[in-house]
Amino acid sequence: MSGLEHEMVELLPRLRRLARALTRDATDADDVVQLTLERAIARQHQWRPGTRLDSWMFGIMKNAWIDETRARKRHGAVLAPAEEGEHVGDDGAGIMEARLAVGEVRRAMASLPAEQRIAVALVLIEGLSYKDAAEVLEIPLGTLASRIVRGRTALMAQLQEVAP
Amino acid sequence: MTLDERLIAYVDGELSGDELKLFESEMAADPRLAGEVEKHKTMAARLALAYAPVIDEKVPGRLKAAARGRPAAKGRARAQVPWMQWAGMAAGLAIGVAAGIAGGHFAWPQQGPLVTRDDGVLVAGGTLKAALTDDLGTQAGPMRAGLSFKTAAGRYCRTFQSGADRIAGVACRHGEDWVMQTTTAFRAPAGPTPAYRTAGNETPAAVLMAVDGLIAGAPLDAAGEKAARARGWK
Repeated sequence: MSGLEHEMVELLPRLRRLARALTRDATDADDVVQLTLERAIARQHQWRPGTRLDSWMFGIMKNAWIDETRARKRHGAVLAPAEEGEHVGDDGAGIMEARLAVGEVRRAMASLPAEQRIAVALVLIEGLSYKDAAEVLEIPLGTLASRIVRGRTALMAQLQEVAP
Repeated sequence: MTLDERLIAYVDGELSGDELKLFESEMAADPRLAGEVEKHKTMAARLALAYAPVIDEKVPGRLKAAARGRPAAKGRARAQVPWMQWAGMAAGLAIGVAAGIAGGHFAWPQQGPLVTRDDGVLVAGGTLKAALTDDLGTQAGPMRAGLSFKTAAGRYCRTFQSGADRIAGVACRHGEDWVMQTTTAFRAPAGPTPAYRTAGNETPAAVLMAVDGLIAGAPLDAAGEKAARARGWK
């Protein structure tokens, strides 16, 4: 295994987490991760050592996710309904109350427009700075900031009632 | 920036210098603003918590394989893309077999080079099986075996390519079968066919990557191949 491949394996949990935040359904998410990996392997010569591998792969995932969503629509396959997003992983653990709260959050994320959802996911879930997130999405910093504000405001409106 | 923008930039740790000082003094003077900041912080924590368990989940094997540049045995089940690709390839293979017969290269003329075993595993058949089992690289037929090597588990694997069938790949010996590890589209370069072992530039990248992921040590030399063939690649 090459060094880059080793680093990609290390990144798998984070790639899966980001994909889950984007797609709602665990199987859809892993399909996006797989497409991301295939593309990253095919383009590994484009990665500049010394730069952040996570940012580079998040950028590939953004496009893989968009392409996958379009392809699904073309083939008439609808994305999994939001209700399925309430299945929290495969562990089946967690008390009902916790599951409902998690489902609430995930449903709120799923309701965001795609461009806000990925901006919020990169910053709030993956912990990227605005600058790094803007680079991943190839948008100006101001655009990123306004997507974060709109996304966060919408999430707040939906989650307010159930907030602790 | 609007107040909302500054508030959220503050929560996300994106304010610095004078902007930060200004916002903090505004917050100190306005409990409602401080309350909004707390709500946004709580919401960010809930969001992070909702997705945190994914980090500890077991990563599916198909994704680990993909990270190493190996094709997945299964997956993308919903999209059905691989199935459609195979269907298209199978149609192409029928032509490939006909071409193989015309060229005098056939061992099991009823079989194409790729055969699905009863258990669903894709193995070499026909001209490909013959080439992988018998060719030592001196033959110049339309279906040619290439590099031979051993995996860490001690299995023999060989690369192959066929201009006529327009496929290339890597197969490993399991019992009497050559099980496909990778197959990819292959187009033979125009002009006279170069000597295969030195023609690295005509070997598809997918094949090279698959070899890279499987090989333990160096490829077999001519003597090593001959000895391996004598033992039935076992």
